[in-house]
Amino acid sequence: MFKDLDPILHSQLRLAIMSLLISVKEAEFTFIREKTNSTAGNLSVQIQKLKEAGYIDVAKQFKDNYPLTVCKITKQGIKAFEEYVGNLQSYLGKG
Amino acid sequence: MQPEKQLTEKESLDLIAMMINKAKDSYHDTGIGAIMWGTIIAVCSLVKLAEIHFEFKLPFDIYWLTILAVVPQIFITIREKKERKVKSYDEIYMDYLWLAFGISIFLMIFITSAVFNVWEPVAAEYTQLAGHRPAFKFREFIAPLFLLLYGIPTFVTGAACKFKPMLWGGLLCWVCCIITVFTTIKIDLLLTAFSAVVAWLIPGIIMEKEYRKAKKGLATANV
Repeated sequence: MFKDLDPILHSQLRLAIMSLLISVKEAEFTFIREKTNSTAGNLSVQIQKLKEAGYIDVAKQFKDNYPLTVCKITKQGIKAFEEYVGNLQSYLGKG
Repeated sequence: MQPEKQLTEKESLDLIAMMINKAKDSYHDTGIGAIMWGTIIAVCSLVKLAEIHFEFKLPFDIYWLTILAVVPQIFITIREKKERKVKSYDEIYMDYLWLAFGISIFLMIFITSAVFNVWEPVAAEYTQLAGHRPAFKFREFIAPLFLLLYGIPTFVTGAACKFKPMLWGGLLCWVCCIITVFTTIKIDLLLTAFSAVVAWLIPGIIMEKEYRKAKKGLATANV
């Protein structure tokens, strides 16, 4: 039986964010924007959705008097991502 | 990138692989630390060699430069950390590796100084009794110990970051470590300088060039 793919992760930008964050300890908002080639508005909305799902932690800080947003994947996020990749592989393997 | 674009399974896996590769490619060392330490160790060794060969003595020990260089190194590290927009796991391990190396070097300086302080009176007594200096010269065994240490973080960094100039540099330190066990202090100092240039200075220059290229590429992409 195929499992349903996690709808939170099964969207282009959110999956790109999670794939970046799974590879690093933490990343600044500007770094994620550069790597995903997304607009700040779009990215903010998707980050908020991932945060609400409990997949990432978002910390607001200040660096040289400028606001700084730092994102980090949570344990729940890692588990969801691994499950998502496992499901994808089973789809492709059995498809 | 579209937020709600639905992907096929194949597209999803390709996207994951692409973003993981992008994250891996995001870190470029500035190379400034490697250039600085490569230059300092080479200069210290060559000045010491000149002191021995031309029989003159500077009013201070040239190796004090290595202690002074810790100050700019702290500033370089703080600046580099501030500039980094991402913290990778590799970087954290590398930071600890080089910190452990720095601590080991200072411990080695402490140990060799302590042994030297014990050995010198023994050697002086021997000279008085035998009429000549002992054949065993402790100074000639200091370089191999330091070259042994130089090779460890250099080799690990080269292997972990897949950066061949440092990998070969680390191996060269160990080759020179073996050679210097059998050579005189002059050759030891020459090989130490050579190792510092090959293991740190040259890789540092390559890293700095790559860092500038990556920064330029990023600036162009953001226009």
